[in-house]
Amino acid sequence: MSGPRPLADTGAAVDLKAEMLAAAEALAGGPASGGGAARRGAAMTSDLSIDEEFALHSVGWEPVELVCGISLVSVPPGVWTWGQGEIVQASDAHARAFAGAGQRIHRECAKAGGHGVVGVHVEAVVQRNHVDVTLLGTAVRPVGAKKTAADAVFVSDLSGRDFSLLMASGWAPLGLAVGASFVYAPRRSAGTALKQSSQNIELTNFTEAMYAARESAMERMQEQAIALRGTGVVEVKVAEGPMTFAHHAVGFTAYGTVVRLSADAHRRLDPMVIVPLDDSTVAFDATSLRGE
Amino acid sequence: MTDVSDAAPDLPEAAGRRFAEGAFTSGLTVPDFAACLQMGLEPVGFVQGFCVMQWQWYGMGSPFGPMGMPARGATTGYAESWQCPHGYVSAEHRSWGQNYEQSWVEEAWATGFTSAYQRMVEEADTVGAHGVVGVVDATAPLAGQGVLEFRVQGTAVRVADGPAPAGGPWTTYLAGQRLAKLIEAGYAPVSIAAAVASVRVWASCITAYLTEGTGQGWGRQPAGVEIEQAASAHMAVRRIAREHVRAQLGDDSLHGASLSASEREMGEGDAELQCVLRGNRVRRVKDFDPLAPPRPTVRLS
Repeated sequence: MSGPRPLADTGAAVDLKAEMLAAAEALAGGPASGGGAARRGAAMTSDLSIDEEFALHSVGWEPVELVCGISLVSVPPGVWTWGQGEIVQASDAHARAFAGAGQRIHRECAKAGGHGVVGVHVEAVVQRNHVDVTLLGTAVRPVGAKKTAADAVFVSDLSGRDFSLLMASGWAPLGLAVGASFVYAPRRSAGTALKQSSQNIELTNFTEAMYAARESAMERMQEQAIALRGTGVVEVKVAEGPMTFAHHAVGFTAYGTVVRLSADAHRRLDPMVIVPLDDSTVAFDATSLRGE
Repeated sequence: MTDVSDAAPDLPEAAGRRFAEGAFTSGLTVPDFAACLQMGLEPVGFVQGFCVMQWQWYGMGSPFGPMGMPARGATTGYAESWQCPHGYVSAEHRSWGQNYEQSWVEEAWATGFTSAYQRMVEEADTVGAHGVVGVVDATAPLAGQGVLEFRVQGTAVRVADGPAPAGGPWTTYLAGQRLAKLIEAGYAPVSIAAAVASVRVWASCITAYLTEGTGQGWGRQPAGVEIEQAASAHMAVRRIAREHVRAQLGDDSLHGASLSASEREMGEGDAELQCVLRGNRVRRVKDFDPLAPPRPTVRLS
């Protein structure tokens, strides 16, 4: 997939009616008529859209199977209550749940013959007694490629389109990097609390706790990126705020896809600049109504 | 128009008359409608199927009685147990826990969904359609608790000058440009595919303690361990849903799937997990002819 190919002469050349008729004829032949030229490769399952599948194919990849990984890790009772500094056990549980879910989705992907998982939906729920992490996505591989080992598989939350763009420009996703930290907002002294009670001023204890949580979380994410030998993390999502069940604890979580340049050099995509002249309403081709 | 006298017995007579009257009805948006015409698909009618089921979590067919108490080894399908490491503690202390597949829930769901689906397809068949596009399905409680309505609907279409499909009309959730691209990619729509998986978690003492943060008196809980039973149930319910749908596919593929899972907590670590997987069963009818790399553009607006 290197060197420029002729650009797609989009849409116009395709005779959709003929394609539809061909499909109808194939279906009219009964369930057994899938044979002949069209039986290529095993059946796949995928939650990608057809656009994403086209995008994948344009860089030489194909979907294989819908895969998932889940882990629920307990947070020991009592750790959320009033204290000081980081709530290490909560941060650890978060990291362990991500690691566990990651391991499972790697295994499912490798078993299905995938080389990576794209479009991963990441769901992490922090509860008082446990952290639940769910990863769900579609395993993909270079068209017709052989199975690979579970630890060679990458997991990415990039969409099919973004994955294809990344690959086309000479980069590769390596995996998810995740960092989380939960910190107590330290108690104000009785004197300070009393003095501040009639003022609208900064609560430095909370601000400092947020900064502490952020620094640890971002640092952990970065460490994971370095461990995967990545050059950077793209599409980082961060979330911060109090825990609904523990108002004096603040949490900060961050995750994204680790990437590295896989080609010799970055390939410029040179996007074409366009000026759309569309009406704001949807264009409707009335000629098709008359069957032309 | 097709002769309505040989209409499926399920179809109300009035519906037969209505379909015979000429003007079509359709649930398609205008752009979807335009895309259909582009592909040579002619809308025939808006078709629907309904089925209302009695819906009780431990209703008929449950081998476990009203409390959902498992009986070891008495279930079909997925089942897994966990032993209590503590020895005899008290009559209330659960000495074991189990995850089990609630096949009767899955079967009831499949019956409701399939009946509604079949009724929609029968309607489409009656009006001489070749396929149904833009299918929407929904389930909703009807008439209070314990009654569930299944609804499947879509727009019946004919392929202009095309042959009728063997084995009745095909169906797809797609319509419009997405369907056009699917056809262009060399797939033919076969049917929608959907299945539910249901797993009950009857928590062991350890699972209950870890989930609820209780029971510290009973042996120290190691800090930050995985709640194995719950994780296993969550993995299983998604795996079972995928297996059920796989079983409907034959040699075909599942395209544009959506998987949604929900959990009904029943306290003390007990829970019921449900996972619905739906998607388009599609058949490859010609070799994939990959597009040249699409050209990236930047919009000035």
